[in-house]
Parts: sequence; C-alpha cells; structure tokens
Amino acid sequence: MYITDLKAILPQDTYTEGVLTGQFKEHNEMVFSAIEPNYIGFIPKGLLRRMGKAVRMGVGSGLPLINDHKDIEGVLVATANGGMEDCIKFLNQIVDYDEGILTPTNFVQSTPNSIAAQIALLGKKQGYNITYTNGGLAFENTLLDAMLLFEEGLHSKLLVGGIEEVSDYSYNIDFLLGKYKTEPISKEWYLDSNSVGAYCGEGAAFFVLVPESKEYLCRIKDLDQITYPNEADIDQLTANLLSRNGLTLADIDSVVLGYNGDVRHNKWYDHIGDSVFKKANVFCFKHLVGEYRVCSSAALWFLTHLFQGNKVLYSKMLKEDRHERPLKNALIYNHFDADQHSFILVQK
Amino acid sequence: MQRVYITGLGVISSLGAGKEANLKRLCNGQSGIGRASIFESKYTESLFFGEVNLSDDSLKEVTNNQDSVDLSRTALLAFFAAEEAIEQAGLSKGDLSSYRTGIISSSTVGGMCNTVSLYNDANRKEKPSTFIDSYADAEHTMRLIKRYGIKGYSSTINTACSSSANAIMLGARLIRSGRLDRVIVGGSDALAKYTVNGFNAMMILSDEPCTPFDANRKGLTLGEGAGYMILESERVVDNNRVLAEVIGYGNASDAYHPSTTSPESIGPTLAMQKALALGGVKADEIDYINAHGTGTVNNDETELIGFSNIFDQPPIFNSTKSYTGHTLSAAGVIESIYCVFSLLFNEVYPSLGIKHPMKGFASKANETYLSGIEIKHAMSNSFGFGGNCTSIIFKKA
Repeated sequence: MYITDLKAILPQDTYTEGVLTGQFKEHNEMVFSAIEPNYIGFIPKGLLRRMGKAVRMGVGSGLPLINDHKDIEGVLVATANGGMEDCIKFLNQIVDYDEGILTPTNFVQSTPNSIAAQIALLGKKQGYNITYTNGGLAFENTLLDAMLLFEEGLHSKLLVGGIEEVSDYSYNIDFLLGKYKTEPISKEWYLDSNSVGAYCGEGAAFFVLVPESKEYLCRIKDLDQITYPNEADIDQLTANLLSRNGLTLADIDSVVLGYNGDVRHNKWYDHIGDSVFKKANVFCFKHLVGEYRVCSSAALWFLTHLFQGNKVLYSKMLKEDRHERPLKNALIYNHFDADQHSFILVQK
Repeated sequence: MQRVYITGLGVISSLGAGKEANLKRLCNGQSGIGRASIFESKYTESLFFGEVNLSDDSLKEVTNNQDSVDLSRTALLAFFAAEEAIEQAGLSKGDLSSYRTGIISSSTVGGMCNTVSLYNDANRKEKPSTFIDSYADAEHTMRLIKRYGIKGYSSTINTACSSSANAIMLGARLIRSGRLDRVIVGGSDALAKYTVNGFNAMMILSDEPCTPFDANRKGLTLGEGAGYMILESERVVDNNRVLAEVIGYGNASDAYHPSTTSPESIGPTLAMQKALALGGVKADEIDYINAHGTGTVNNDETELIGFSNIFDQPPIFNSTKSYTGHTLSAAGVIESIYCVFSLLFNEVYPSLGIKHPMKGFASKANETYLSGIEIKHAMSNSFGFGGNCTSIIFKKA
C-alpha cells in the first residue's frame, strides 16, 4: 500500500512543516511536548474547548486530511492510552468527591476510541472504524489492518494514525516505572548517553493510504511484530520479512532505529544496525520527538519526508553514514521497553 | 482464502465460571444480575450488577496465580476464560508459540479497575503501588502473551462496547488472508468505579435489573466478565474439532453522535448488511440474532429499526445482557459464545425482564426457552459508544 498524504502534530514543527526547512525545536526539558496549531477554522470552538489533548491532536491532524481527501472511507487509530489527562481527571473526581454527582465530559473524552469516533463524526465517515490500544505495537496494528482491508478489496482509501498525549498523570506512572531519565537533557544528540531512561514524548501522525497509486510519496511494503522475543526471534523475523518480499540483507539501504537514549535498550538497535544491516545507513528520530508508545508513526512521518529527498532531515537524523546509495529500501525497527518489537518495510 | 473455524470457547460471567455454568443458567432462564458483593462502590446499594461471583483471591487460585500481587481483575478474568478456550481447542505449547499463532484481545477499562491505586500512582501520592505496571488497556493481553509464550501477531482493541466483536472479526480476517493459522480472540472487563461512575454520569444506568426490549426499559446494568474463542484455519484443523464457523462480519461507523445511535440506525444497518454480504447469506437465512440489546431507550429502539431495515420479518432474537448485564468489551465475545451454544444445541434462550414488548414493531424478543429448532446461521450484534457498530455471522459446523 502507498502513502499519498500525511499530517502530524509532533514535538517539532511538523504541522506547518517548518521542520522540513531546518526549524528544529531543541528540547531541553524532561518532556518533549507537541507543538500544537490553534485548530481554529476546522474544529468548532465549542467542541475544541471540551476536547482533551489526545482527541484534539488526533482530530487536528486527521481531519485536515479528510477535508483534502473526501473519498477516505475508513478511520484507523492507534493510541495506547487515549485521553489519559481526562481519564485521571475523571478518576480524581470519583475519589475526591467519593463518587458524587459527576459530569460525563472527561469520561467521554478519555475513552481511547473517542479519537477515531470524533474524526468519523466530524468527517462524516460511515465506513470501517477501529481503535488499537496495543501499547508499542498499536500503530503497527493499524497498518496491518489497512493492508488487509485493501487486500479484501472493499476499500480504496483509508486514514491511519497514531496518537499519544503526555499528561502529568501518565508521566508520573511511567516515571515511577523507571522509563524516564531523572535529569533534564544536556545535549541535542542524547541518544548515545550511558544513562538509563528516555525522554518522554507525544504526538499525532496521520497518513492517507491507498492500495494502488501512480502518484505516491512512498510505499509500505510489509511489516511484522513480536512480543517478548529473544535475539534469535528477531533474526528469524528479519529473515522472514526479507525473504517473503524477495529482498536480501544487502537490499536494505537504510534502517530507522528507535534509539531513545536508554542504555538498557540499545543492544537491540545495535544488533539490527551494526550486526544485521552492516551496510545500511542508520537514522534515528527520537532525539526529535522523544519516546512514546505509538512513536513509530512519527518515524514513518520523518521517513516519508526522507523519501522526498529532504536533505535537512537527512542530516539531522543520520547516525551512521555508510554509503552513498540512494534511499530505496528502508526498514523501521522499533521496540517499546524491549517487550514489543516491530519492523516496517518502506520502499520508494 | 481460508475458512475460519471455532475450535475452543471459554467464558466467565455473572452466570458462572466456565461454559457449563453459563449454559445451564441460560437454559433455565436464570439471570446473573443482582446486588454486588465483591465490587466496592457507593452504587452497590442503589444499582444492580452482573458481577462474577469470585473474589480476586479466588480468581488467583483458579487461574494458578496465587503469588501474584500485580494482576488486575481484568487480567484474572481473562486468564480464566482464555485457559478454558485453549484447553478445549487442545492447543499445544508448540501451537501457541508458533509465529503463525496470534492473540487479539480487548478491554475498555483494562487495569484501571484498580481505581484507588491508580489514583495514588497517577497523582504520586505514595510510593508506587504493586499495580503500577498494570493499568494499561493492553496489560491483560501482555500477561496472556507471557503466560502462553505467544510469539505471533498480537493486538488489543478498544472500540468500547464492540471491542471483542472487532477482535473476532480481525482474527477471522487474519486467518482468511492466510497470515495466521490460529488466533485467540476475545476480551475482558472487570467492574470498575471508572466505568460505573462514567455511565452513571451519562444517566443511562437502570436502577432495576436491565430489561432489554421492554417498553418501559430504564437503561443498562453493568456487568463484568471475559470470553475467548480459538479460531483456526481450515489449513490446520481437523473437522471433528470444529464447533462452528465464522462466515461473515462487518463494521461501520454511525458517525452521528458520541453516545447515541442515529434514528435511522445507519451504523447498525450498515454493519449487518456488510456481514450478510461477506457471509454470502440472505437476510432470511439468519435464524437467530443475539442482539446488542443494552436496555437503553435509544439502543433497543434503533436496533429494532435496524432489523426492519434489513429483514422483512426479523428472525428470533434475544438479549442475553438480561443475564450478564453489559460486560462492555467482553460483551461481543460472550454473546458470540452464546450464539455458538444456540448453533450447537439448536436452542434459543429467553430474553428476561420483558413485561410489555416495545410498541410499534412487528417483532418482539423471544421470551421462552426454545429447543429442537434448526439454527443454522446466528448473528451477533455489538454497537459501541462513538458509533462503532459490528455484526458477526456464525454458521453451524
């Protein structure tokens, strides 16, 4: 399947695409917050006021694509936690007011499927609608679903996206779990740090997908995923993915790896980037957006622009320069917490 | 295109732990709805619930998790139902760890049923609770993956009340496409202050046990439970293990309102139409519908409008939520399992609590235990908040 359009609200200026001309936001705090547009003009004001951040970012990046592509039929959304801010606000009311009379707004906004539902509602899309909450593999779940829908021949244009919001609450929980660093960021390229923990990010990235196209940005050829693997599983999955797509190791010219600055997580990326694909260029993206569960959607947003020949992003993301070959076959490899691992094969 | 067979079923609900207990009470027309004795909430005095009659400790015992300190009730319910389904299908360790075996689960509340510890952890009130890593919607899926060593495709879905129906649909599609040989599909939801207060704030909870399709219905009754099905490809299954076949499914968005269905029943009608088209069956070939039938004024009315959009004469239908309450994400799969019971035993269970059938509709819900009738095709409807509508058609093996 092919990407024909995309829109993102990430911790960089992706919405107005300043990031493509070198306007990078240098984050030096504990949380990489998304740079949001004002949304005015396409989300009704009354509605916008009630929307939580996840819904707002989701609708804010998904709806413009629906407006530009009226023939989109279905909406597929990935979000591990949905509207966590509203969720805990509602929970706080339950506890603080001892289950008193509560207003349902936070409850309605917090349910993960309210993002896909709102996009369908505002975009008047009565086709397929789904929300995946499968942690670090939720976005990959949407991609495979879209691929299946196209194979089944019942759809010809879909909107697919991944959204995660940071709230104090979600940050607290993940911080207590030891996922994040305890010191603010000291250097721009922090991915080589020898410390534990990542920096927390957030964002929304949406894509318009079609099964066939002459004018497209790049092609999502295949993907695979595994949970709780060992290194042999990863090697096997890589080999299977390449062979069923008629490719060899040498055909992969670029890998986009999910290095997040957490020394505990590097070995998996080192293995793919240094041992398996020794001759591929290595790109990173989490120094731009931080770590969050559906961030492979951000990786896909950046990679799509690399395929358009964006040189500024190319040098900003390049970790290992190993050849002069043009970008043709790229593999995104990401894992969340070393538990959920995924590969996305993207071609020119 | 591979055919999709059901080879294992597992269920836990307010009707009991396991298929037999559930079946027995369905046949006897005995509801599981009553006053909650385990779930703690201010509303246990004023509202009725479809509670699973086992404490967390008892659930830990029956699922061999005695030493666990961090499993949510959602995960414990999931363990029980998944184990029963896997056992019935006779899946070996090797089957389970094959790259071609997957799991698709669903939940709406996930580990958030531990309301107080989530409150403390999210607000950093105290040192981390033992549940700190258990709140995610996908928590129970991850636990099942770890327990059974599943290495293939995994997913967790949350489309509110249609969640596990969508899990069945996705599992069937992955098998049909040849990507998987076997897949565990279903969902789990425990009673939670979060959902009880949420639905209460929306003012759609009944202060009496729910009475779906009654003219004077007052809203829904929340329940809890889990259900799992094992789906297998015709490639790997031998016919004597087949319980039923998944032949059709459809999903559509009503795109009308965040929490009510359109008066024309657009989403439900589209979902049923898609399922019929894919299943290659005509409307009059459907012998039985397990309706979504929540007992809210809006749902039951629009669902019947949907029926009249599709059927000249709607088939026999009931709402088994009158037994279990609304088990949210688990409702789709639990009710699908009840559909398989109807296919296997040629019987339909009485819809409970109807005093006065709804006016203005030609058909009314089945109120008696029917046996010895030929049920060849059964349809299960699940419609979720946000307008997410899914319909699935099962065929007798």
